[in-house]
Amino acid sequence: MATEKNYGNPELEAKLRDRYLYTNDTNPEFLNDVKKVSRTIAHMCFQCGTCTGSCPSAPRSSYRIRLFMRRGVLGLEKEALNDPDLWLCTTCYSCTDRCPRDIAPTDVIMAMRNLAFKYDIVPRNFLKTVQLIYTTGHGVPNNDVNRSAREKLGLSRDPPTTHSYPEFMPGIQKIIDHYKLKENADRILAEEGQ
Amino acid sequence: MAESKHQYAFFLGCIAPNRYPGCESAAIKTSAKVGIELLPLKGAGCCPAPGAFGSIDLNVFYALAARNLVLAEQMNMDITLICNGCYKSIWEVNHILKHNDELRDGVNEVLKEVDMEFKGTIDVWHLAELYYDPKICGVDKLAASVTRPLTGTKIAVHYGCHLMKPGKERHFGDTENPMWIDELVEALGAEAVQYRNKMQCCGAGGGVRGYDLTHSLDITNEKLINVTEVGADAITEVCPFCQLQYDRGQIEIQEKFGKTYGIPVLHFNELLGLAQGMSPQELALDLHGIDCKPFLEKIL
Repeated sequence: MATEKNYGNPELEAKLRDRYLYTNDTNPEFLNDVKKVSRTIAHMCFQCGTCTGSCPSAPRSSYRIRLFMRRGVLGLEKEALNDPDLWLCTTCYSCTDRCPRDIAPTDVIMAMRNLAFKYDIVPRNFLKTVQLIYTTGHGVPNNDVNRSAREKLGLSRDPPTTHSYPEFMPGIQKIIDHYKLKENADRILAEEGQ
Repeated sequence: MAESKHQYAFFLGCIAPNRYPGCESAAIKTSAKVGIELLPLKGAGCCPAPGAFGSIDLNVFYALAARNLVLAEQMNMDITLICNGCYKSIWEVNHILKHNDELRDGVNEVLKEVDMEFKGTIDVWHLAELYYDPKICGVDKLAASVTRPLTGTKIAVHYGCHLMKPGKERHFGDTENPMWIDELVEALGAEAVQYRNKMQCCGAGGGVRGYDLTHSLDITNEKLINVTEVGADAITEVCPFCQLQYDRGQIEIQEKFGKTYGIPVLHFNELLGLAQGMSPQELALDLHGIDCKPFLEKIL
């Protein structure tokens, strides 16, 4: 008869005897939410790890796209959305190109980021881009050094975008306001004391 | 100058006009030499940045991209652009809204507030694919426009991510080892060198450059190691954001990691401009963070 392994740690032994993962902290709707926003078949993941193997962020951080795929399937919403690694995906789509199940893991990450934002979980650099586009129409606006360089090239000092035609700005602002994005960005940054 | 048969609304984006204006003027001038005319898309804004905006709220991302598309629909003209990030937003949203009625209805409801409607009447192209397309320009015609061949230079091509990936939804074929931009570079008389992990990301995308600069630069550093290994004289790309990451990134890498590469980084349009006889001043190469002189000395 086989002898039972003993690590001398009752807590660990209880854990090892438990053949199922029990946690009350899951949201059974999480997978459906992710699928709806990402429009990809996230439930089809069989955890092969091709995604993590293709990921340029994986070798230099604790970010594992495969882990996020599993969290999606298991409904581990809080674990997924509160993990700072969620924001280390460069959205290069290598995992999406190589996934043998034709899932788009990149879009799963994008969906999880969208869902995190609903709980105000978002790095501040994303919010600053919102403010810039709201005020100038550009995520990277023009500056004086660039204006004189443009002039030397025979281009207009400001490009023929919202920079030259500010009458288009209210349209952009109305669209952003429709989703209350600027309002939320301002509020979250103010709460952080930015 | 050839008579323009092919007219496009030129979507500028942000980084090309506001950081590397040489890319913008080079695109206008080099395309004119092969019979492509670029007209300003008045009132366009940010594409919007797929990493920054798409990560927060995809619905705003769709609606803002649709606004830019409608401006071109009103001109009754296809869009061309010179940035992979813009391609992801503008091409992909055009594609999605053309094929997904539910999303299109949602977007149009918002656009109604600004008296616009997405109709799906135009297409979106990257200028590089127009150069490659024999119906528009093609490699031979591009080669014929060269007056100062880049003979004797070794160029590493960085394709970037958002132009060709995800490959299943795009139309560029192989995304593991593509060669078509290499062909364009060879048409200019240069040697397109092959290097390790050619399709790896530059590290800038997805908001990572803003979120964790060191992490992002570490990815760039790996690419720079691979490019240096094969003795490239310059890196060329078709995306001003990748350009920013490699160009300004090399200065940041020097500060953070103490490694110096000094590899000039040129947008394909700037490279084409040089090959068509434009001067470095006409391309505003002095705005680049990394001095282009070592490369220019080989060709001027």
